[in-house]
Order: sequence, then structure tokens, then C-alpha cells
Amino acid sequence: MNLDLTAEEQAFRDEASTWLAENLPTEERPPEGAEMRAFDLAWQRTLFDGGWAGINWPVEYGGRGLSDIQQMIWYEEFAKADPPFTLNNSCTFVGNNHGGPTLILKGSDEQKTEHLPKILEGETVWCQGFSEPGAGSDLASLSTKAVVDGDELVVTGQKTWTSYAHVADLQELLVRTDPDAPKHKGISWVICDMRSPGIEIREIETMSHVTDFCEVFYDEVRIPLTNVVGEINDGWRVAMSTLSFERGTAFMADQVELAATVERLISEARERTGADGRRPAIADEDIAKRLSMARAEVTALRAMTIAGISRTARTGVPGPEGSMIRLFHGELHQRIYRLAMDIVGTEALRLTPVDGEGVWTGPYLQSFAYTIGGGTTDIQRNIVGERVLGLPRQ
Amino acid sequence: MDLLPTEEQLEIIGTVKAQLESDFSLNDLAERDGQDQVIDDTLWQRCAELGWFALGISEEDGGVGYSLVEEALLFEEVGAHATPGPFLATVLAAHVAADCGESELLGQILSGERRVALAEPEDGSRHRITDHGGADLALAISGSRAAIFDLARTEITPELSLDPLVPLGTVSLDSDPLCAVDDPSISLRASVLVAAELAGIARATAEQSTEYGKDREQFGRPVGSFQALKHRCADMAVRADAAMNLTRLAALSVVAGHNDAEFQSEAARVLATQAALENATWNVQNHGGIGFTWEHTAHRYVTRAQFRARTAGTPHDHLAALLGAPAT
Repeated sequence: MNLDLTAEEQAFRDEASTWLAENLPTEERPPEGAEMRAFDLAWQRTLFDGGWAGINWPVEYGGRGLSDIQQMIWYEEFAKADPPFTLNNSCTFVGNNHGGPTLILKGSDEQKTEHLPKILEGETVWCQGFSEPGAGSDLASLSTKAVVDGDELVVTGQKTWTSYAHVADLQELLVRTDPDAPKHKGISWVICDMRSPGIEIREIETMSHVTDFCEVFYDEVRIPLTNVVGEINDGWRVAMSTLSFERGTAFMADQVELAATVERLISEARERTGADGRRPAIADEDIAKRLSMARAEVTALRAMTIAGISRTARTGVPGPEGSMIRLFHGELHQRIYRLAMDIVGTEALRLTPVDGEGVWTGPYLQSFAYTIGGGTTDIQRNIVGERVLGLPRQ
Repeated sequence: MDLLPTEEQLEIIGTVKAQLESDFSLNDLAERDGQDQVIDDTLWQRCAELGWFALGISEEDGGVGYSLVEEALLFEEVGAHATPGPFLATVLAAHVAADCGESELLGQILSGERRVALAEPEDGSRHRITDHGGADLALAISGSRAAIFDLARTEITPELSLDPLVPLGTVSLDSDPLCAVDDPSISLRASVLVAAELAGIARATAEQSTEYGKDREQFGRPVGSFQALKHRCADMAVRADAAMNLTRLAALSVVAGHNDAEFQSEAARVLATQAALENATWNVQNHGGIGFTWEHTAHRYVTRAQFRARTAGTPHDHLAALLGAPAT
């Protein structure tokens, strides 16, 4: 047990901080469409050129080959630099945080060489095709079918809750390749080219007014068999490793940013007049108590993240304990923005974008996604109960 | 940077656990409920021989030469086993004696020869005192101030205690202390050690509920298969994990002398208090009728958590201190 940074890690921290001071964009991120995609990819390219993309990815695929601790240090420095946008609110999220890591773990050499550098260099946007209208929490019951025809799969069906499908080049897609096998055994994880004939994308408007949420329809879409990642019909295991990244390290940036958010909120509560119209908001006993608790909780989140990194450093792959962090983080994120609504008074009635400087109401609406996306908190509780604690299945 | 215990630390944890399970069984100790002295001299001496009071005292002062981190690991187990006894007063008093250069007194405390009760101010010189049975010294703490008093010729008024294994009373400490310090490191150490004990309570109650969920059958299957209970156990495990990891982080931060040591320690104290109280409460509920009986140990975690939440400061004090602490 120690908190020491090696000389290399300390140098890395200093370098990151200097680089961010010089290279962080000052303009706000365009909220939608082609402009948003261009902004996200340009930033990814800037990161890559600066040596800050794929910090913990292998060197042979364009990464830096550094540790998860260094990845966390980078997120911490990014949050400290007071950026005009949040790191994970980007169409590059899926490529960087699940598609890429899954390929590193389960992809063939050709797949890695073909796709990984393009993710890091900001050339491709990935999206996720897991959930279906009939397969949400019960993901393994998915029914989008794929039939082998020569050296291709022919895919027909529908996916939903696919963020950024309308601006994506590629998709991590789960399909049923064996309808007769038990539900977990007949699934394959494939790379789908989003420009293939037979794909139709419709945007879904969310309660937070974000329009990058989509549903995707597949009508006899042809995908080469060489795009299957891992073995055919073994996609459930591949998907579980994808999700372990999502539950393990993908939200590390969010967690770090959340600590900065709480500090901003404390400043707001000191500056703004509270509900009594006389004293600052922080003078209210209830607000003060919740702010203090929020500070304790984001600090605990950091401790849990470091403990998770320490465990992964020993085992190589994030374990089911990641679900504990994910569960704690999702609910904490929501609590903090609910608290923000109570602090900003009638400003709470003025709608802001979901991202940007000094905004609270947009992120509040968006926070409802944090206990649903990537497996609802109810599913996370099942995972913790069954896989971490060993309680019997229902 | 690494937050998991080393091999050596795992060994310390293992030894402490084994000892607490064999010699500090709650069911055996229950026979001493309400008595003045719940840990007899032999048992207390054994803890001393194992070096438990001396973990964080330097070797040149006659200690083991570890740090607050190992002390916190000990306290986590003390909390997890709801072990009674003046562990906090003893460990803090040893540091006070060492800081004052009172080597004879230090030796007597470390060897278990002299016992230290814990005193906290209530009104002027009137103090609330705990674990006074068999103690001839009292450590009075208030924030960063700590003083060791001789209890000879002082009269303690015993009171009924919420926790039958934590003897409670009041005492007036009017005489001059044997030694005293005003040092923020005392309050940091107290915060971390109480947080560790509370984190241990949160962990043990999460484990107790989980085990019960696996064993107890109703409607023809283990009750832990039902989401109502499974999800509560998951929440309890998360609370315990958060409290435990944060407490370890805080201990490391204090030992390293980082600027955020106060922030981290207060955060640990606040979070662990909440985790222990919540988990201990749900643990009774999860056990149903048996959880409400005196025979079952579930209630012991409730009263211990309530006690520790008010040991070395109240929840209100610590919430305020955390909000006031500089973030870095």
C-alpha cells in the first residue's frame, strides 16, 4: 500500500499539465451533427499528436504502453485544466473505451492492425450495437439474426440506444448466429461497417434534448466473416470483456471530473444566495451537509478507482468489482446534480446545454442516464450480488 | 501507487483476525454485558504481547516501527469483530506519551501494565468516560488537544451504556495531566482509526447479511436469491468497499504528510460513519426476527456504530470539518 508516484509518473504528470495548458481547446464543443464529429475527431488527433491517446494501450498499435495509474493521472490533470467540455462526452468514447480495448484483448492481428491505430489517430468513430427493443437488461435474449452465406454474415434486425450511430463509421455489433443454441451460446461479436447497404438510422430524442441517441435497422446487411471478433458463437464472452472495461476503466475520466464538479458546486453555494433570500446557499444546514457528504463520496470514488487499478495490475483484466464502482458512481453523479438543482435556486428553471462551462440544468437532465446506460443500476446490483458476493441467482 | 495490502500487511491482518476470532468471541464476551471491565487483564496483556498497541510507535521508542496504515488495518478488524476494549485510547495515549518523551509511561501502556480509558469533554471539566474498568489512566481528547490524566483519587459515576460492552460513566478531570500535547496529528490519527473501526463494522455487517442470504431458506429457496435482499447486500458491500478504501487512502495520505491529509481523514470519517450506521441498520432488518434478539450479534454492531460515530467528535463536527478543509 502506497501513494508514491514513481519519478516517471511524476514526470508524466508534469508533462501532461504543461501540455494541457498549451493545447486545450478554448472553444465549446458543437452540440450535434457533422460539426460535433469533426470537433471530437480533431481533438482526438491533437491528443494523438501530443502523445496522449491510448496512454495504456500497447505501443505496437499506436498507444503509449503506460500504466492505468498514468491513464488516471492524465484524467486528473485534464480535469484540473478546467476544460470547456467533458472528456467522455465525445463520439470517440466507444472506440477508445470499449471497441478498442476489446480488440486489444480478443481481436485477431489483422483486426488490431486495421482498426486500433485509426481509433487513436482520430480517423474513425465507433458506436455500440448491443441493446434491442426486446433485449435490454436481458441482453442475452437479443434476436438480431446473422446467417452465414459463403464468407459473409447476413444481418437482419434492430438495435437501439446506440449513441452516435448517425456519425459512426463502425459498430461493435452483437448478433445471434445460432438460434438453436442456449441464449448465451449462439451470439457473435462482429465489426459492422455503418455505411453498408441495408442500414437505416433513426435519431431518438432524449429527455436531456440530446439527439445523438439512435436506433439502427438492418435489412440483409452483409458483413465479412473476417469481422467476427473472437470465435463465432462465442460473442457473449467477448461482450462480457467489453462490459468489464466499461464497468472498470471507461468511466475513470468521469469519476475524476466529478470531484472537480463538487468543488465548483461548493463555490457556487458560497456565491449564490440561498433559499432564504438572505444568506449564501451554503449557510443552509441541509445543503452544507449534502455538500460535505458529496465531497466524502467523490473522494471515496477515487479510492475505489485506485483500488480497482491495483487489482487489475495484479490480474490483467478488470474483475466484477468494477460493477461496484459503476453502481456507486452512477448514483453519486445523479445525487450531485440533484443537489446542484437545489443550490442554484430559480436558475434551475433555465435550460442549459448538457456540456459547457457553468452549466447545471442540462447535466442534471443528462444525469438520469447514469443509472441506466451500460446496464441499469438494478443489473449492476445483480452482478455485485451474484458475481462478487456469490449470492444465488433468482 | 497501490491500495491493496502487501504480503506483510496481509499477514498482520491474518494474525489479528485469528486472535480476535479465538479470544474475543462476541458470544463469550456477552457474559460480561454491563460489567465495569469487559476485557480481563490476561486478554489485554496478550494484545500487548502481540504488539497491537505499539504498531505505529517507532522501534527506538520500543514500538514495532510500522505506521498509521498498519494501525488502521488493526482497527478495521477490531470494528469487524465488534471487539470491545480501550484500543483507541491506548494507541493514542502511546503516541502522546512518546511525543512528550515520557518513556516510562509509554512502556507501561505498551506492555498493558497500565490501562487507559477514553475521556471526552461534555461540560467544562466534566468528561464522558468509557472503558474505565481496570484503567488507572485516562486520555482526554478534544480536537488536536490530548492529555493523559491519572485516575487515582478520581471518582467515576457509572451510567447505563447504549453498548453493554462499552462501559460508560462521567468524571471530572480537575487535576493537572501527567502529560499533554496540542498536535493536529493526534486528531488526524483519531479520525483515521475511528474511520477504520467504522469501516470494519460496515464490512462485517455486509458479510453477515450476505452469509445469511445464502443460508436462510424461505419459499423453498435461499432468501439471498430474491432481489429485495440481494440488492441490499450489494449496496452494503459497496458502502463497505468505499469506506475501507477511502480509510486506507486517508491513512496513507497522513503518513506521507500530504497537503490533503486532513481532507482525506475527514472524508474517511464522514463516509465510514454513514456506511457503518446504514449497514448495521440494514443488517438487523435482513435477519428478520432473529436479528432483533439479544442472542444474535446484529444489535452489537448497531450500538457500536452509534458509539463510534460519536467517539472523537460527532458526525456533525466531522461533516463541518470536511466542508471547511482545503481540497488539496
